[in-house]
Parts: sequence; C-alpha cells; structure tokens
Amino acid sequence: MLLFRSEEHVERWRERTGRRGEVFPLATCARLAHAWYANRLAPDWRRRSVDEIEALFAELGLTSDFWKLR
Amino acid sequence: MTLDNDVRLELYRQFLEDGTAPSPADVAATLGESPEDVTEAYRRLAAGRVIVLRAGTAKILMANPLSAVPTRFRAVMSADGRSYFGNCIWDALGIPAMLGQPARIEARCGDCGERMSLEAGADGGVAGEGVVHFGIPAARWWDDIVDT
Repeated sequence: MLLFRSEEHVERWRERTGRRGEVFPLATCARLAHAWYANRLAPDWRRRSVDEIEALFAELGLTSDFWKLR
Repeated sequence: MTLDNDVRLELYRQFLEDGTAPSPADVAATLGESPEDVTEAYRRLAAGRVIVLRAGTAKILMANPLSAVPTRFRAVMSADGRSYFGNCIWDALGIPAMLGQPARIEARCGDCGERMSLEAGADGGVAGEGVVHFGIPAARWWDDIVDT
C-alpha cells in the first residue's frame, strides 16, 4: 500500500511495473486507518469478522470488487 | 484474560516504549511467564494474524501497524518526537490513530521517491497531498501480507 504524489505518479509507476490495483484518496485511507487501528491497544480488542470488515468498507464508500472479501 | 491477550498487550507496550520489537524472552520476563510459553503465544498470535513473525522464527516482523524494520513510512509523534515505522501508508496513518495522538507522517512517493510529509490527527483526519494505491485486492491481502 503505497503513497504517491499524484495520480500522474501512480500512472508512471503502473506503466513501469505493470501493477494494477485500486487508487483512492489519502483522506479515505486516513479514515480507514483510524477505524482499523483506534482500538488496537484495548484489552478487549479482537480481530473483526468478515461481516464487520465488509460493513466498515461500505461505510467508507469502498464498495468496488477490489474490496470484496469473498 | 488469556495468556495470548496478556502477551499481545505487553508486546505492544514494549514495542512502543523501546521502539524495537520485543523477543518472547523480553515479554516473558515482564509477565513472569516462561519464554517457551510466550514463544508459543507468539506463534498463536501469528496464526491468528495478530502479528507477523519472520519466517521460521519467533521474531516479530510486524505488530500492525508497527514495523520491526525500517520502511519508507514513518510516524513522528507530535507530542514528544518519538517515531515508529509503519508497514505501509495505511499502517503509518494507523499509528497516530492507535496512540490517540497527532503525528507527522514522513514517507516517500512510490514512483519518484521524493520525500512527502503529512499531518495526521488523532481522529482520522489528515492534511497533505497525495493518493494511495493498494496493489492487491482485499480478499488476497493475507496471501502475502509482506508484499501487500
């Protein structure tokens, strides 16, 4: 999961490496990171279920096939 | 609480305090457990995808969002200047989220390598330029988490 200066830089990197994935805004990544990790140090933390992860992705608008878990 | 959860909490505490990933012996000494039992707990945590161990060892490679090795993604905590490497940009942004403190995220562009700097809040906000690329679809992330 890489950070790029702009979509133009992503395109250059894609052409060079042949890798194709999903591009999305930095702000969405920050919201995802917060939702994912904010309770990581809680004594009762546990891994999310697939249903919970899918609900989280949907809440953040991450609904393309790329984000599907099954 | 179970031993595994005690080990999980203690390894994160030591990782954050020392800035390096603790060995099973480090965690065992604090918890008053045997290194062998903590080693087994590390393996169970890895099997449960809570941490990632270096192949064939009980050495931590990742205790997400923290990386045990330097990466191109580092969170510098605004409060005290302590810094931690994240495994990727998602994880670097996860460090201030996990600690509930703002941080400056120092990174490099995946294309040109130029230095980039972001300001991440404790609340999931971020200021700075950039876009994120995920290379592997979510369903396959754990096929090879190191490359994801």
